[in-house]
Amino acid sequence: MNEVAQIFDRNLLRRRRDRAAPNFDDFDFLARRVGELTADCLEDIRRQFPTALELGCRTGQMAEILQGRSGIETLVQSDLSEAMASRAKGGAGGLTIAADEEALPFAEQSFDLVISCLALHWVNDLPGALIQIRRALKPDGLFLAAFMGGATLAELRAALLDAETEMEGGASPRVSPFADVRDGGDLLQRAGFALTVANTESLEVSFPSPAALLADLRGMGETNATIQRRRSFMRKSTLARAMALYQERHGDSGGRITATFEIIFLTGWAPGPGQSQPLAPGSGQVSLTKALSGDGNQGGD
Amino acid sequence: MSNQDVDPKLLEILVCPMTKGPLRYDREARELVSEKAKLAYPIRDGIPIMLVDEARKLDD
Repeated sequence: MNEVAQIFDRNLLRRRRDRAAPNFDDFDFLARRVGELTADCLEDIRRQFPTALELGCRTGQMAEILQGRSGIETLVQSDLSEAMASRAKGGAGGLTIAADEEALPFAEQSFDLVISCLALHWVNDLPGALIQIRRALKPDGLFLAAFMGGATLAELRAALLDAETEMEGGASPRVSPFADVRDGGDLLQRAGFALTVANTESLEVSFPSPAALLADLRGMGETNATIQRRRSFMRKSTLARAMALYQERHGDSGGRITATFEIIFLTGWAPGPGQSQPLAPGSGQVSLTKALSGDGNQGGD
Repeated sequence: MSNQDVDPKLLEILVCPMTKGPLRYDREARELVSEKAKLAYPIRDGIPIMLVDEARKLDD
């Protein structure tokens, strides 16, 4: 796995999550909202999932949401941050571990369901992580993921970029890159999932000010963790300019601003015996030429 | 079962994240030992810490 480009600093992310854990309840609105939407997806699928894994459990929001509304008997909660996992353990879930999504510690065919809410946008080797997830699923097991899409924080990204270009004559990445929905569906298929579905939902969240948005991102442990990020803080004047631009472009008459979070929902199934499958190439019984010429009737000869 | 113990259900499904090989539960030391990777993953407050960075290296 060494040849994979390292975009994100996983140790930095872990430290951020550890730091965010004690007060995470004050900043869990996004985790909760996306958790509820994910639980709704699950409810539409009329299946029982006796053994389930949640990747990126934070302090246990999803376990709380799922309690009493799904056919899950055993839920294993996992988070990269030990501090988050430790808080989740005290909640509704019970079985909790700390693990890295890039190196999963689960035996093959352990779970009927793997859920991941807002955890995979920080993974360097997403194809590798998806393959590991598929292997951890039993045949016909379901993977259900919600993650941040490319339009997330577009307003903030533009304001920072424009301010930095204007004030410092150049720009560096300040907001992490996100995947887009098409990538997501492709990646699932390449990782060997069947019957994949991808769709997006745009959440508009209102904040008292651009500064309050930044404070919330910090509280969520979601600030930029790219390796390419500038090690220096942004100049105060540049940040002030970015905040002013944001306010000017997206502020309402009362001074509040909106921020967009694009959430991509992905579902895929580990291949199983009962699923509809494409036939193997060359296994057809009817000649295509015959079929197209019109005299090949449906049953072949 | 005390709060420090690892749930048997977890022990059934956990493997070494590095080698995907089996783990031995050392209850005394509160560690999950991967002989193949020569790493011992700590268990803190009943939570297995399955991170290679946090594991103790075993001597030969």
